[in-house]
Amino acid sequence: MARIRFQSVTKRYANGATAVAGLDLDIADQEFLVLLGPSGCGKSTTLNMIAGLEEISEGALLFDDRTMNNVPAHRRDVAMVFQSYALYPHKSVFENIAFGLRMRRVPEPELRRRVMDAAAKLEIAHLLERRPSQLSGGQRQRVALGRAMVREPSVFLMDEPLSNLDASLRISMRAQIRHLHAQMHSTFVYVTHDQAEALTLADRIVVMRDGTIQQIGSPDDIYERPANLFVASFLGSPAINLLEGALETIGGTLCFRRGALTVPLPACFRGDAREVVLGLRPEDVGPATSEAAQIHGVVDTAMPAGSDQFLGVAVEGAMLFLRVPKDVRVREGEPIGFGLTESRLHLFDRTTGRSLRRAA
Amino acid sequence: MRAVTHDERAAAGLLAGLVAVLMAVTAFPILYSLWISLFAVNLRRPNRMPFVGLDNYIAVLSSPAFWGSVGRTALFSALAVAAILVIATLVALLLDQEFPGRRILSACLLIPWAIPSVVNGLMWKWIYDSNYGALNGLLLQLGFIGSATIWLGDSNRTLPLIANAFIWKEVPLAAILLLVTLKSIPADLYGAAAVDGAPAWRRFFAITLPALRPGFLLVTLYEAMMAVRHFDLFFLLTEGGPGGASDVVAWRIYVETFRNLSFGTGAAMSYILAIATLLMSYALIRGMARTL
Amino acid sequence: MIVPRPIAPRMLRLAALGLASLLLLAYVLGPVMWLLSSSLQTEREIVSIPPHWIPESPTLANFKAIFATGLGLARPSPAGTDPSSGGFIPSVAANLLPAMANSFIVAVTVTILNLLIGVPAAYAIGKIRFRGRGLTLYAILATRVIPDIALVVPLFLVVRKLGMLDSLASLIIAYLAITVPFSVFVLASFFEQMPDDLDRAARVDGCSRLRVLTHVYLPLARPALVAVGLFAFLASWNEFLLALMFTQTAASQTLPIVVAGITSDFTVSFSFLNAAGVLAVVPPVLLAVIFERYIVSGLTAGAVKG
Repeated sequence: MARIRFQSVTKRYANGATAVAGLDLDIADQEFLVLLGPSGCGKSTTLNMIAGLEEISEGALLFDDRTMNNVPAHRRDVAMVFQSYALYPHKSVFENIAFGLRMRRVPEPELRRRVMDAAAKLEIAHLLERRPSQLSGGQRQRVALGRAMVREPSVFLMDEPLSNLDASLRISMRAQIRHLHAQMHSTFVYVTHDQAEALTLADRIVVMRDGTIQQIGSPDDIYERPANLFVASFLGSPAINLLEGALETIGGTLCFRRGALTVPLPACFRGDAREVVLGLRPEDVGPATSEAAQIHGVVDTAMPAGSDQFLGVAVEGAMLFLRVPKDVRVREGEPIGFGLTESRLHLFDRTTGRSLRRAA
Repeated sequence: MRAVTHDERAAAGLLAGLVAVLMAVTAFPILYSLWISLFAVNLRRPNRMPFVGLDNYIAVLSSPAFWGSVGRTALFSALAVAAILVIATLVALLLDQEFPGRRILSACLLIPWAIPSVVNGLMWKWIYDSNYGALNGLLLQLGFIGSATIWLGDSNRTLPLIANAFIWKEVPLAAILLLVTLKSIPADLYGAAAVDGAPAWRRFFAITLPALRPGFLLVTLYEAMMAVRHFDLFFLLTEGGPGGASDVVAWRIYVETFRNLSFGTGAAMSYILAIATLLMSYALIRGMARTL
Repeated sequence: MIVPRPIAPRMLRLAALGLASLLLLAYVLGPVMWLLSSSLQTEREIVSIPPHWIPESPTLANFKAIFATGLGLARPSPAGTDPSSGGFIPSVAANLLPAMANSFIVAVTVTILNLLIGVPAAYAIGKIRFRGRGLTLYAILATRVIPDIALVVPLFLVVRKLGMLDSLASLIIAYLAITVPFSVFVLASFFEQMPDDLDRAARVDGCSRLRVLTHVYLPLARPALVAVGLFAFLASWNEFLLALMFTQTAASQTLPIVVAGITSDFTVSFSFLNAAGVLAVVPPVLLAVIFERYIVSGLTAGAVKG
């Protein structure tokens, strides 16, 4: 059982670089929290501070109500899965999994039972006598999971655990990790730079950049209501389309204007005249209908992508990438019009990058 | 000042032994000898130890005999380092090739490195022996000389002969260091040159030699340091003789300290040697890093 | 790079390599072989001109004398005996085996202490980021630049003041000064190469820093430990200068000191002298040849950093 709280935590390295600045974060007991961001954003440092692998320069870290700043890693009830797996090369799979229990003096019969249980769940029971060097990448990954699982820790940390696996294995391991979380009564903190992984796994996502939190929210919040330009462009594949333009009030309605393009905006946005950026996800367009806002342009490229097709559409000197059903017949060089789903538009202040959506 | 972290406490515990050793047998002796070098310490007069300031240093630095030994040390070191570089490069080039027996050869190469320097001295003294030694025996049998020659006893030959014994023992380490440098040259560099049509000797001068530079620097630095401080062979082969022909700085420190029992000047000389070694290493690193 | 060559140049290449190998072997082994050959000759044979490169009647008499007197089974020849008569046993013969024992005790103790001191320190330097890490590294580097002869004078005075002259303990302590910094260097560069995640995984698994070392890194560091142990052993076994200053009697004299004493003793025959030399050479050379791989990797690790 552990609620994890960061209270204005700062991590500075000896060379003066600040990895994390003034972090405030409250992770609920048994939550699945994903720290998401590009490399160097401070997400791994945050994870390491929870583990006790990095000292905290300023602020406090609490597990429930206990300050953990000066508790060394080996006295925290924390287990961790590493990107490199970090299996002990000189120990068998069994001993790798059992090591943490041995260090905690778990009696032998219980230790065997727990290792066997974990091995059975992960389907690696037949590998227990092998050395890590004799395993495939996927098998090593399972051993690393098993090593953390048997500990039945109150805090379960994962640092990019899937990024060394190939794509198909990664998808199936995601399901396994979700499953693991459902079975265990642990707080999960999971670090990744892969937005798809974050969206599938998380109860809540923390998007980080340059050592600060950009947004905290459910996957839906983060994807549907990004708090700023950075979050909007970091999530989604292909990336969100961003159109620069101006905010104007025309006939009492807030409108986005760029050249000849005018998009009336729904009431959920606020703001006075200023420079803005309109965000449009590739999949958020539909057939042009008279009642919806419309966008017109010229088809520049059309790329079939299996179930859908991607269109590059030139609109007012910008290029939009859109995903439309395969049956929409288009030809390169021809004009095309789309209907916009109003509720799915995003609008940001161009100078601050902040979303102009009204607080819910 | 931030608080001492847990990691730092752990590091302090782990380093305690090393720090104790460095303090007790390195840092303390160094400072103590600095202190001694400022006094006229002579074990023949153990109760009188007047403070003389820099007099010991002045005495040493204004002594022609000292500068004579500096010259001999420089000559010995230059000879030794140059020969070690040449021979070790050849050995490294040979061991860089793939051929049957290479592993046995490289194992044998370690023998001179492993031999105690005392035995190295004894062995070469016996080889150089003017009556029954192997050198005279071999040269006579091959007809290079007509009659037995005096080797170590000839003051013109002493330094090169001692250097030879030193070189023999030091070549293996130098060759190993150069071989590692050779192995680190990417093979596609040679491949590219071969495709360009460069003949073997060209590839050697265009690729191999320049790539060996860091190895040369390392070997020069290390061997120069070892040569400048070398004592054992001078003690065993000639005791500084004949007539001072092999009176090098290390030998002089020994004589001054343990035969004349003049610890003050001995310590001053040790200090001068240590500082000179430091300066030499620094100059070598700066100089060679630029020119090579 | 493998480029197929025509047969003739390939033979030529092999011949050239063979010739070069023979030259190198002659250079490296020639002097040692002569030492060995001389040790197996009789006193009469060794003074023949030209020298007998291969003994005509090889004899182990010198070695027998060393072992017999060293084990108290025989006595050295009485003073005044003519050394040129056969079967003469010089009085120093009896000192060789005890000196060998001294060398062995010193070398083994120094080796063990090196590992005990060096391994934790190297782990701290290689795996923990702490204030003063750079300073520690520089201090270690600096000790390698200081000539050992500069340490002799102060160490001698300290050892004398402590009344430790002529004791094995004084040698052991002094040898730590010349071996520990190098050991720490070699081991630290080894630990540095090990993945950091291993250290982190073990700590999360419940290991204190010390336990990470004993349970994870030590089993993995075996090659480096062997190399470092060998260096410490060989350096102590071979050391001469400090032993020359600190030892005075057979109680503490090591093998190099006794052998050096023989070289300047004109009553001892050359063949006996060479036999004593062979005795001192055998242990380090055996170790070096057997553990060649470890030594080469250790030397390069230490040198690249140092």
